[in-house]
Amino acid sequence: MRLFLRLRAWACCRPLPESLGAAFLLRVLLVWLCFLPAVQAELLELHAARVTTTVNGLVEQRETTLPYYWDRLNHSQPGEATFEVPFAIPDKPTEPYGVYFPRVGNTAEIWLNGVLLSRLGDIQTADRADYAKAPQYVLIPAQLLQQDNVFRITLHADGGRRGGLSKVTVGPEEEVRDIFAQAYRWRVTSALAVVVFSLMVSVMALVLWMTQSDSGLARGFIRDGVYLSAGVAELCWVVRLSDVALVHPPVSWLWWSVVQAVAYAGWICCAALFCHHVAGWHRHASMRWVRVVLWGLLLSSAPVAYWAQTQHQDWYLTAWLGFSSFLFIGYGLFYFGAVLRRPTRERMLVATAGLLNVMVGFRDWLMIRVTDNFDAVPWIRFSSVLFGLALGYIVISRFREASAQARELMANMAAKVVEKERALAASYQQLEQLAREQERTAERSRILRDMHDGVGSHISAAIRQLQSGKASNEQMLQTLRESLDQLKLSIDAMNLPPGDITALLANLRYRLEPRFKASDIELQWDVDLLAPLARFDDKAMRQLQFMVFEALSNVLQHAHASVLRIELRGTPGGGVQLRVIDNGCGFDPQRVQTKGLGSLRERAAAIGARLQVSSVPGRTVVEIVLGGCSSPTAAR
Amino acid sequence: MARTGGCGYARGRFTLRQGKQVWRVLVVEDDPQMREFFAASVSRCTELQLAGSVGTVAEAKAWLDDDANTVEVLLTDLGLPDGSGLEVIRHATRLHPRCEPLVISMFGDEDNVLASIEAGALGYIHKDSAPDDIAQTILEMLGGASPISPMIARKVLSKYVSSKAAAPVIKKELAELPRAALLSPREQKVLELIARGFSYAEIARLQAVTVHTVQTHIKNLYAKLSVHSKNEAVFEASRLGLLPPPA
Repeated sequence: MRLFLRLRAWACCRPLPESLGAAFLLRVLLVWLCFLPAVQAELLELHAARVTTTVNGLVEQRETTLPYYWDRLNHSQPGEATFEVPFAIPDKPTEPYGVYFPRVGNTAEIWLNGVLLSRLGDIQTADRADYAKAPQYVLIPAQLLQQDNVFRITLHADGGRRGGLSKVTVGPEEEVRDIFAQAYRWRVTSALAVVVFSLMVSVMALVLWMTQSDSGLARGFIRDGVYLSAGVAELCWVVRLSDVALVHPPVSWLWWSVVQAVAYAGWICCAALFCHHVAGWHRHASMRWVRVVLWGLLLSSAPVAYWAQTQHQDWYLTAWLGFSSFLFIGYGLFYFGAVLRRPTRERMLVATAGLLNVMVGFRDWLMIRVTDNFDAVPWIRFSSVLFGLALGYIVISRFREASAQARELMANMAAKVVEKERALAASYQQLEQLAREQERTAERSRILRDMHDGVGSHISAAIRQLQSGKASNEQMLQTLRESLDQLKLSIDAMNLPPGDITALLANLRYRLEPRFKASDIELQWDVDLLAPLARFDDKAMRQLQFMVFEALSNVLQHAHASVLRIELRGTPGGGVQLRVIDNGCGFDPQRVQTKGLGSLRERAAAIGARLQVSSVPGRTVVEIVLGGCSSPTAAR
Repeated sequence: MARTGGCGYARGRFTLRQGKQVWRVLVVEDDPQMREFFAASVSRCTELQLAGSVGTVAEAKAWLDDDANTVEVLLTDLGLPDGSGLEVIRHATRLHPRCEPLVISMFGDEDNVLASIEAGALGYIHKDSAPDDIAQTILEMLGGASPISPMIARKVLSKYVSSKAAAPVIKKELAELPRAALLSPREQKVLELIARGFSYAEIARLQAVTVHTVQTHIKNLYAKLSVHSKNEAVFEASRLGLLPPPA
């Protein structure tokens, strides 16, 4: 109080513009001060009640202790009940109170001291709304409260849907609301979170199932089974859990109960299938029987749920759930044992999830179905998440495996490409080498032939001349010089551009120049600059070189001429006409068959040249016509 | 640059023997018989004096390095046991700038001859020449008559004319080199006629000039090829960043 007075004094002293903030602070302080006694007030948990029930027209009134589990006490028959729950508080409070019902319904009206606090649905209409699934909270205005109070709660309970009234918690608003919020999170929000998670897993699994169906991988079909069963299981689970938040079902409660039962059965059957696929047992012969059992379980769930509802015999469903629970405990243990014998991380994960789920399922069955625990929350909604996580792990590990395989494949392909390239390069090299060898062989044979015809023949002639002893020094020298000339011509022929007859003649003249000088013959050079002859290779060039050399040698050695004329002209057909003309003594080409003339004809034939030799005393013409349209060149 | 005939030699280039002009000759030839033959040919000529005769590149270099030795004519074979005669030519022209190198060639084949010319050779002599011809040829070449065969003329034309056409960028670069690097139209014409087989006399007649002018063209051509090859090396080196660009 001293603090309060000081604050007030302080606030009064402040100038006007600041008084607004001060007033706010003051109010906060006042609220806090007023709360102090309320905080100290006890939360009241109300158990004692007087109940008036009407079941099948039979009215009964008695004292009872909350919670009042309608289905247990009235054998799942629908009916109405009115509870009077008195409670007392020491002082009349100044602040509002709150009341929290963990479970009330299925529909209810909540009165306090004769005033209606809240209406949860219409209590006159059966089988419509259901407020019993979620915890309820109602605010009590402070002025309604007295020292002695009484709650009157009128409710209608549909049979077999966990109607009734749980214990009532009443107390200052904030604290009660906290308790309510916590309960709401635990019972509703958590279920919705699982719904969202399951929906995501389901969509992912079904998309994977659809897109991976023809992936062409070795185990592609197996993967489909895993994804499909997981997808359907999670979808069933979404349907099952979405019930938690539903006050008004999409169909009548009867059929919605059937849908719920089928969804639950679908979830456990598909989860079992998923485990089966992960273990690889789906290829086993026993799979047929497993299918029969699972289908049986799934199909039986619908009539069981239907009968349990219509005949108000909830134990049908309890028995069915108990049977399933025991069946899957057995399956879970067997699966776990089998997986332990051949463990992989994937299987161990799934086996653990499966076993945990059947254990939790059994616990839920015991708590909710067998014992009278009215407020129990099923745990299986939390353990079910493990299946989704296991599937996520499987997908990720398989994706990793697939990408590793792809990488390996790429590396293999790259290696193969490199190998092929190498092989190709090797074969190219081989081809090239072959071509080079062929070229070398051709070159070698050309050189050999050249030596045989040129230098070789001259040297052997020189040897014969020496051996015979008849040849003069001059003749010997002549033969040897010719031999060297041939060698030079042979080397020149290698460098002559193929088909360039002008170059050939020029070179020949240059090489024979000393002999022309020595022979005192006047050389008339009348050579045109002609374009190289097409399709006239180095072999043909060498042949022509021999021919011209032969013709010139004849003139120099035998003709006794004073003028030697060399002419080169292009022909209209694109060929060339080469003429060696001298004014020497001449000869009769028909009669005289010198060795030189014979070889001239042979060589002309070899290169497809037209050779014409005409000779009268004083004018001998050796004419060689090459190429052009009139005489096609056959160089080889 | 060119010696224009028998008169007008630069003073101090040669020794006098009995009042005549005498050229000192170094013979580099690995075959002893051939070496002997060349040495004898040189010795017989009164206008030539045998300064030395050696058989390897190393011996030739050692001989040239010796300050006591002077030489005006280097007669070298190309195929030496320890290297190429081209090395000897380069060494000799570096140490004795006024030395005229001549190459002994077996065949006068275009590749070897062209390489020799580009290395600075004044001409080439065939191994099968007659002894008297050798001395005569040496003197003729010293007098300005460098030989050129049609094959070599063709090669020079294709190398220096077509390369210009084929590489305009290089042509532009080369155009900035000294003028002597390129063939003049007249030189080109002379080369073309030689490639067609015409003799110097015939070319002189066709071109309405003297034989001597034709010879001068050839002589200039030799110098240009040598300079050009050097410039090309310099150009190539500066292009590759081995030398700083000329200021």
